[in-house]
Amino acid sequence: MISLKNLGKIYSDDDTDTTALQDISFEIKKGEFVSVMGPSGSGKSTLLHILSFLDRPTSGSYTFSGKSINDLSDIELARIRNKEMGFVFQAFNLLSRASVYENVEMPLIYSVDLPAGERAELVRKAIEAVGLKEKTFVEAGRLSGGQKQRVAIARALVNDPNVIFADEPTGNLDSKSGAQIMEILDDLHNAGRTIILVTHETYTAEFADRRIQLKDGLVEVDEATKHDGNRKEFFK
Amino acid sequence: MKIKDSIQTATRGLNHAKLRSLLTMLGIVIGIASVILLMSIGSSAQSLILDQVKGIGSNLIFVVPGATKGSRFSSPASTQGIIIKTLVEGDVDALRREAVAAKVTAEVRGQAKAVYENNDATVTYEGITAEFFPMRNFSTVKGFSFTNNDVASFNHVAVLGQAIAETLFGDIDPVGKLFRLRDVQFRVIGVLEKKGLGPFGIDQDALVLIPITVARKQLLGIDYYNAITVQASDAYNIEFAKSRISDVLRQSHRITNPDKDDFTIRTQEDALSLLGNITSILKIFLTAIASISLIVGGIGIMNIMFVSVVERTREIGLRKAVGATNSDILQQFLWEAVILTFIGGLVGIFIGSLFTVLTYFAVTRFAGIDWVFSLPISAVLLAVAVSTVIGVVFGIYPAYRASRLNPTEALRYE
Ligand SMILES: Nc1ncnc2c1ncn2[C@@H]1O[C@H](COP(=O)(O)OP(=O)(O)O)[C@@H](O)[C@H]1O
Ligand SMILES: [Mg+2]
Repeated sequence: MISLKNLGKIYSDDDTDTTALQDISFEIKKGEFVSVMGPSGSGKSTLLHILSFLDRPTSGSYTFSGKSINDLSDIELARIRNKEMGFVFQAFNLLSRASVYENVEMPLIYSVDLPAGERAELVRKAIEAVGLKEKTFVEAGRLSGGQKQRVAIARALVNDPNVIFADEPTGNLDSKSGAQIMEILDDLHNAGRTIILVTHETYTAEFADRRIQLKDGLVEVDEATKHDGNRKEFFK
Repeated sequence: MKIKDSIQTATRGLNHAKLRSLLTMLGIVIGIASVILLMSIGSSAQSLILDQVKGIGSNLIFVVPGATKGSRFSSPASTQGIIIKTLVEGDVDALRREAVAAKVTAEVRGQAKAVYENNDATVTYEGITAEFFPMRNFSTVKGFSFTNNDVASFNHVAVLGQAIAETLFGDIDPVGKLFRLRDVQFRVIGVLEKKGLGPFGIDQDALVLIPITVARKQLLGIDYYNAITVQASDAYNIEFAKSRISDVLRQSHRITNPDKDDFTIRTQEDALSLLGNITSILKIFLTAIASISLIVGGIGIMNIMFVSVVERTREIGLRKAVGATNSDILQQFLWEAVILTFIGGLVGIFIGSLFTVLTYFAVTRFAGIDWVFSLPISAVLLAVAVSTVIGVVFGIYPAYRASRLNPTEALRYE
């Protein structure tokens, strides 16, 4: 489903060039749960942005569901993001003055082929899936951190995407809320979705089947996750 | 993205920042309200002035001595303090024989001291014939106006305007009383109804009207006229009447070349169109002043929108992440600006109209002027259109900037 070949990304500012990714090649199959790890500045977020069509590589190739990013226009990228991808961010990125409902609905208003009549039902289902039914019409800004991230997950789910991209979703949460979020992601994975999780915490990475470790914009390690008990400890 | 969703998204965005929305709107509200108020004042003033000219009579054609150089709106030499003696009795007689002229009156004018017992005042008197009264819609509230018999017999009678009657006679009924005008005795036979300010600011209530024969021979000692007024017959087109009068006067003045005319003819329509032009310029001027406040309001909107775009960088990044295209973002912000200015326009119209009504009451009640209430629909439509256009014009650049934000940088923005 995802295939990278010799992918590189150089940020060119006025006078300096920063190489964020040097030469990355790997494939991710449908239904995989992959964690992306690595020290700060190693290129995790950059990789995630390219995988999720928010940014374009400066070299190499990337195909998603058989379509190469180099052949797609910005509008086509937006369509694919809208239909096939869901996003969860470390900073939640909710509209704090809008209700939970309005936040979750947001991707649907950009879905060109979805009949408006079906929206309410999809929104309701997504909110229920993260257990926030009774908060539906509460302002998002009034929720706790864990609840906010659940709203963000509901928003990521509402379009029934194939892939969910999560960039340190538990980074701003206490361990209990973090655990709840990881459980939801785990359930989504068990239901067949592809999940790509950026994290620097080994215990959250253990939810994944596979770990890609970056260093200085290169893949340092790419291996199946070793379950050494951290995950169980985390649940205590 | 469907337009309905664009509008709803924009409305929600505005709703989520109510105070900012209200402040943004304020500039437009003030701008539109002042446009409405000033446009309405302009057109009320225009009606007021034009009604005064229409009020002096109907189908009137004014003949004054002296040629006029330049356009038909230039002022004749005789109105610039130069004494021209070309209009004479023969002209009036010749005009009276014309079918186009229903009524003809001649006028002479002078200033003198009027005295009654211990009261005195410097007055403008007009020597006229009896036709003057019906031609100019002057009627008496006390006594009578004089007849052409009085004119022919050099009778020393006078009809007074309300204000001068009060100045000279106070509470006493002036009809039948004798007063002196430049040491000539006159008997008051009538007092005019209240006329107020006439066109060109002449206080019609301060006039003293006396027979033209007396004024000419005994007060002024002249044998020419200051003006001749003709009321054209309804049966003729006013322009035809005007050219007929020119022909008659040229004939009696033995003028063959129209460029050598020694008189100037103006119809009431000429005066109306001149004043119409002047007052239209006044209206445009007022509207232009008010438009400055609209532009200031528009710039205010642009300012606040720029701030709003920066503040909402993350929101824009998020929307793009979940599938918004550049044009979706552009539309959202443009709609926000247009909705704000549109609502601001409606509120401005309401407030402007309110002030228009207040102005109407203030002017009619306290200043006693026959103010014409006017809230031109064109002003209202213009205001709505202009405010919406301002939304587009001043909203498009910030909206464009928003649409071009790079989503990854926007999401990173703190
Ligand atoms: N928009 C950008 N412009 C310039 N440099 C950037 C930009 N985004 C990231 N970088 C640089 O690219 C490198 C990788 O960053 P990032 O992908 O955010 O790493 P991580 O998420 O692993 O911390 C860093 O050196 C960072 O400073
Ligand atoms: Mg990062």
